[in-house]
Amino acid sequence: MNRLTAALAQSVAVTAFLVVPSSAQNDEALKKDLTAVIALHGLPCGQVIDVAVLAESDYAASCKDGNRYRVYLNAEGRVIVEKQK
Amino acid sequence: MQHEAGIWVHHMNRRIAYAAVLMLPLLLGAGCARGKPDTSASEPEAAATDPRTPPPAAKPSVPATPRSTPAPARAPAPAPRAKDPAPPAASKGAPATAKPPAAAPTLDLTALKERLKDTKAIGIFSKITLKNQVDDLLDQFRAYHQGKAKLTMIDLRRSYELMMMKVLSLLQDEDQALASDIVSSREAIWGLLADPKKFAALQG
Repeated sequence: MNRLTAALAQSVAVTAFLVVPSSAQNDEALKKDLTAVIALHGLPCGQVIDVAVLAESDYAASCKDGNRYRVYLNAEGRVIVEKQK
Repeated sequence: MQHEAGIWVHHMNRRIAYAAVLMLPLLLGAGCARGKPDTSASEPEAAATDPRTPPPAAKPSVPATPRSTPAPARAPAPAPRAKDPAPPAASKGAPATAKPPAAAPTLDLTALKERLKDTKAIGIFSKITLKNQVDDLLDQFRAYHQGKAKLTMIDLRRSYELMMMKVLSLLQDEDQALASDIVSSREAIWGLLADPKKFAALQG
């Protein structure tokens, strides 16, 4: 029984190791996407280095150059980028 | 002896059971990993040539920009230019054994649209942003063809080129095949937009 418990614990640990990188990859993909969106709007950023989720399809992006933007999808289906002070 | 063998078999069975429990997440993880970066799925008939080399079709399409031509503002001058490169090759009277001219890419807007929707090279927010900007550009073309716009054809061409650059810059690293197909279709798409009749048909 103890062995089985230990095996299960190991299994959970291995799963955790696999799940964390997957989440990190999603985070990187989001940063890359927001970097592209800000660039498509012709706004300075360089690269998004941090993202905070404000709501669904609503993000606060912090850029490498110090700029901060709110990027969200409005009711008309347009992606809006607003510079934050 | 038989008893020892029985114990050994019992131990082995337990070990196999533990191994199976340990392997389960690994197998699941492998399955997830396989599902993630499958960017090649959207690159159907990738050329046998090195995909990193710049697409050859890009160069011929560039000189067709109307900036250098002093065309009148309302003339859809660039549209017929897309057909220019073909006749000289045919009129030279090349021998039959010569390499046949590269097949003109047939424009399949629907397929290109689907591939753009499906590509993993562009994130979802970028796709929506691009769609917003393409819609804005189409509105400008519509206004131009209806005589309501202050923009000239040269302005529209500039906006069109900029839009292409945006799309290609997002695609070129991770979906080279789609990027080159779009480059190949660039003049054909421009032909559709610049010609009022073709544009109207496109909208209808």
